[in-house]
Amino acid sequence: MNTLENKKSENNNPFRQTKFTRSSNSQKIRNSFSQFSQEELAAKKEIVSIAGRLLRIRNFGNLLFADLADQAGIIQLKVGKNKDFAELGIGDIIGVKGVICKTDKGELSVEVQEFVLLSKCLRSLPDIHYGFNDTEERFRKRYLDFLINAEKKDILVVRHQVIQSIRHWLDQKEFVEIETPILVSEASGAQAKPFVTHHNKLHRDFYLRIATEIPLKKLLVGGFEKVYEIGRIFRNEGIDARHNPEFTTIEIYQTYENAEYMMNLTEELFHYLAAKVLKREEFAFNSHPVNLVQSFRRLAMVDAIKEYAGIDFTQINDLTAALEMAAQHNLKLAKFQKTIGQIILAFFEEYVEKKLIQPTFIYDYPVEVSPLAKSKPENEKIADRFELYIGGLEFANGYSELNDPIEQKKRFAEQARQKALGNEEIASFDKEFIEALEYGMPPAGGLGIGIDRLIMLFTGQNSIKEVIAFPQLRSKEKVSENFE
Amino acid sequence: ISQNYFENRSKLITEYRETENINPYPHKFHVDLSISAFIEKYSNIEPGQQLNQEIISVAGRVHNKRELGTKLIFYDLHGDDSEYDFAKIHSTIRRGDIVGVRGYPGRVLQGELSIFSKDITLLSPCLHQLPTPQQGFKDQNTRYRQRYLDLIMNNSSREKFVIRANIINYIRRFLDDLGFLEVETPIMTPTPSGAFAKPFITHHSDLKRDIFLRVSPELFLKQLIVGGFDRVYEIGRQFRNESIDVTHNPEFTSCEFYMTYADVYDLMRITERMLEGMVRKITGGCIVNYHPNEELSHDDDKVMKLDFSSPFKKVDIIPTLEQNLGIEFPALDELHTEESNKFLKQICEERKIDCKSPRTNNRLLNKLIQKYIQPTLISPTFLIGYPLFMSPFSKSHRDLPYLSERFELYVATEEIINAYTELNDPFEQRERFKEQDLEREKGDQEAQVTDEAFCTSLEYGMPPTAGWGLGIDRLTMFLTSSSTIKEVLRQTELLGRYLNHRFNAHTIRPKSQYN
Repeated sequence: MNTLENKKSENNNPFRQTKFTRSSNSQKIRNSFSQFSQEELAAKKEIVSIAGRLLRIRNFGNLLFADLADQAGIIQLKVGKNKDFAELGIGDIIGVKGVICKTDKGELSVEVQEFVLLSKCLRSLPDIHYGFNDTEERFRKRYLDFLINAEKKDILVVRHQVIQSIRHWLDQKEFVEIETPILVSEASGAQAKPFVTHHNKLHRDFYLRIATEIPLKKLLVGGFEKVYEIGRIFRNEGIDARHNPEFTTIEIYQTYENAEYMMNLTEELFHYLAAKVLKREEFAFNSHPVNLVQSFRRLAMVDAIKEYAGIDFTQINDLTAALEMAAQHNLKLAKFQKTIGQIILAFFEEYVEKKLIQPTFIYDYPVEVSPLAKSKPENEKIADRFELYIGGLEFANGYSELNDPIEQKKRFAEQARQKALGNEEIASFDKEFIEALEYGMPPAGGLGIGIDRLIMLFTGQNSIKEVIAFPQLRSKEKVSENFE
Repeated sequence: ISQNYFENRSKLITEYRETENINPYPHKFHVDLSISAFIEKYSNIEPGQQLNQEIISVAGRVHNKRELGTKLIFYDLHGDDSEYDFAKIHSTIRRGDIVGVRGYPGRVLQGELSIFSKDITLLSPCLHQLPTPQQGFKDQNTRYRQRYLDLIMNNSSREKFVIRANIINYIRRFLDDLGFLEVETPIMTPTPSGAFAKPFITHHSDLKRDIFLRVSPELFLKQLIVGGFDRVYEIGRQFRNESIDVTHNPEFTSCEFYMTYADVYDLMRITERMLEGMVRKITGGCIVNYHPNEELSHDDDKVMKLDFSSPFKKVDIIPTLEQNLGIEFPALDELHTEESNKFLKQICEERKIDCKSPRTNNRLLNKLIQKYIQPTLISPTFLIGYPLFMSPFSKSHRDLPYLSERFELYVATEEIINAYTELNDPFEQRERFKEQDLEREKGDQEAQVTDEAFCTSLEYGMPPTAGWGLGIDRLTMFLTSSSTIKEVLRQTELLGRYLNHRFNAHTIRPKSQYN
């Protein structure tokens, strides 16, 4: 802190600096000059201006070496005897003009001719050597995490790449991205507990949206044929390794198409992201290697239960038999779960889900848990719906969209009945949505993907916190629960 | 009458389901091409010519049904982009229904391109009467609450949203090409900082604490700059708990970017390049004719000609106020004092300018700018020369320490961009927050809230950085010539009177409330 006061009074206040013109960065220097030898570089006398943060300083008296870090990477600085430079500290941000060279040991460096202090670091940085690994501190001071652990920045770079590629892919297919309201009157389109807030001047409350489904479907009523939205969703629930109260989803809708089409679209998107964007076939996720360019397996839910649990629900046609099956397997059922469809789902969640490691589409879902999906023409108890499982986790959810307002009303009523029986995760009745359906929504297919989980898959992270710039944390006392 | 129509139509559809045994909401209809693609493909057909062998399927909503005797019915079918005539015989189809048509293309003698249909399938009935084009909408509220009706009736409404998507795409591409990284920072935050606005507050049940909806992503984005990212941007939703009017909605979309080793002058050049390029791309030229009262009149006097060619004009606040008011203002280094406060109050009283309490220097000057400068800023203009005390996050001017290094960009009298060389001195930042606390004590509820985490991050060193924020809804408003911001946003909530919600047991109201 002393040095700062001195600097300020010397009319050399680093915080007065407003501009430094760079001609290059660490990565560009490496790309263009690594291949040359020490002698060749000495002959070239190539001058560059770069800027960044000092992360390491090794002072040998007559010679000083330092590591300069910028967004692209790190490059070594070589400085002859210089008392001003020797006063710099770790963490200081400087601009440097110098000549590109190689040291005797062959390390590509910039030999400093001039430098200027651009911003002073007033606190000590965690030691690079020992690392900065305290999971609690890392997220509380996320900027330190990014500074010390450069690979954490890479995760956000991949996130940007993936989302940008998805947009580009959809725009090429002539989809239009539309932003729908976050402050809504009904928290509909999914089953989750919402946040509520109050608008002072309107004297009314609003919910924060739990899904983008309903307004996007209203746009289909309005005549849009291919729409999507990548946006923030809010769920007022617990925080853990896979859940952040705010997270990002993409929902895609296309008229005159159905669930099978959306399944194909999903598979095409995953293949594209893996092969063309990330240029890899295999990804390590949840302790398993998964292959994302292979053909994705497709399995009906009851067939999956048969295969993974040896139980054949195609033979079970009445509730008593289903309840008996549950009892036999010691499956505890809540009051609202006493329907054949709910029992099938319970078995699926208990015995099958976690075993679906390689990408697998599960289709033919019970209609009781799919209130916004169309039933299959041949069986009204089954919804024309699918989910995609990878590494035991759900990544995508899609269906043929229910567009019959009378049927939709019945489904909402059924949800209300379930709620009365204790099911907290129900879809709430949305009167304005029914009214929109009464004006006619074309048959359509829809698809939803959790973006954060997608990035976890592509970057091999097990905690959602790693893929979010500033994840929500519990208060200091309950730290360990953050990471379960 | 409309309730009768709904009941009758619903009855008819139910009968149709029962007697004809056909599903009025079928699962799939295969569409060969969209209506606009159909028109493009068959535009060369001559009047009277029919291509009987080319059977294709299209789908869309019936907008008009014209019956010529009993044998021939013409339908206007609207798909995503266009409208066209189709001929067919069927009695259950009504205006508003969504149908699929299979037939062959041809041109009737009157010259209109059509499909001569072999069969027509009801895909989704419309159970209510659609408003006719002549009727239009009785009131604005219906139009916004049932946005889909507006979209069905007015092709231009749909177009506006496509233009909006193009505007946002352009901004993304422009910034990506400059090496920026798009990021997402929290919408729910413990400290609602970064802008002058009242926040929304909500409550997290599990964590048992109140959180705010962000008014700006600024302070998080700057923490990423401290973290070593050189160029970041975010396009996302911001929230302000304020009155609603033609240019203010409780939630709106902004783009903010931060660029290390750049300053406010670099940002002026980037702004000019971005906007001029965008306008050229979207409209084909540099001039936008903006009709602020589009819905109310077609009075050509009310057209504002917005010229986006660079360089943009610059207007300096204090000298311009002095000129427009004919008065000499206090010196720049005294504008924040008590004496200046009296001076500003006096001007406002003399000219009958209403400034609600608290009448701080900041708020009084803003009122003067609104009244005496803003209305003159039509084509894109940089407003510069903001006193430092009005800009708590801006570095002070390198030559004139009582000014900030800041500009705002005004278009058609409205502010759309705010940008400055960022303050990166943690000592000075803390001082500025203290000043804001004093403003709050005087009663200014929009004063900045001290953000401790942000100040701490500055202590680790933030490089010299320039930052920029753009209101996307307002920009879109001008480029699509909409007169209110609601045109541009999706299905905004009903204004004015609204029935209060009944809450379920599990939602908890926040403990503290801003008023």
